[in-house]
Amino acid sequence: MATHHAVNGTLPPEPEKATLEGRNKVLGFWLFLGGECVLFGSLFATFIALRDQVNGGPTASELFQMPVVALATFILLTSSLTSVLGILAMHRNKVGQMQAWFAITVLLGLAFLGLEIYEFVEYYHHGHMLTSSAFGSAFYTLVGFHGGHVLFGVLWIALLIAQSFKKGLTLVTAPKFYVASLYWHFVDLVWVFIFTVVYLMGMVE
Amino acid sequence: MHSEAHTSTSQRKPVHRHAGAKNHLITFAVSIILTAIAFIAVASESVDRNTLVPLLLILAFVQALFQLYVWMHMDQKGHGFAALGMFSGTLVALVTIIAFVLWVWW
Repeated sequence: MATHHAVNGTLPPEPEKATLEGRNKVLGFWLFLGGECVLFGSLFATFIALRDQVNGGPTASELFQMPVVALATFILLTSSLTSVLGILAMHRNKVGQMQAWFAITVLLGLAFLGLEIYEFVEYYHHGHMLTSSAFGSAFYTLVGFHGGHVLFGVLWIALLIAQSFKKGLTLVTAPKFYVASLYWHFVDLVWVFIFTVVYLMGMVE
Repeated sequence: MHSEAHTSTSQRKPVHRHAGAKNHLITFAVSIILTAIAFIAVASESVDRNTLVPLLLILAFVQALFQLYVWMHMDQKGHGFAALGMFSGTLVALVTIIAFVLWVWW
């Protein structure tokens, strides 16, 4: 397939898997995601163990504002869809569409971060800080780590879009987009659990 | 059946073997519905706590599997290594979480 590409300049149907380097990139990325599961697993474990230790500060059910969290969840879920639509466009060799879908993904990611910053500032004014209680430390470490992943994803995908304007869609750039979309889905997957364990189960008490 | 099999091999297959955007839109709709159910279950305050927590966790895991198998393409062949990586990672994560939960209980 690689030679086919070199001869007439058209991409194979799944350009991310057409070269050994591309396949290795995807394979290695899955290993990385397995490691990320362990990372977030230990942060979740810490949060679950410490979430009732509020040290006289506000509890989870007093703090959380469901409308903001629902909106953030919807935004991130939609961005996961747009990134997969970007990959579908890539498989059809439509560079412009791919760039557009990933650009929307980046914008939705930024919107999510904006909401998260607003939320954290709001909690800070209610006396819920990183150092105010064990609940605060566990909360900001877990949710903040996820937010950091969103920020990294936004920067990464924005750079990939910029590169694609220069280099186009090739056997080298295609695996990068594929791997970035895997990362983005994983970040959304972690949010599903943050949303469930931190917010919804925090409201139950 | 024979003629069908014949035409499908003689005609060139479409270049992408994905079902197109349809599956992804269905997954998106399912995820929204599952999230909404979780929300309503908490907001209504009518579900008993001992059934609510397992219900929320099941809803989250179903959504996670949809993401992994449809959006992250683990339903396609050649993803054995991906599944090994993810499931061993999840196993370690779950053992850690269960250990901490038990630690808090006692």
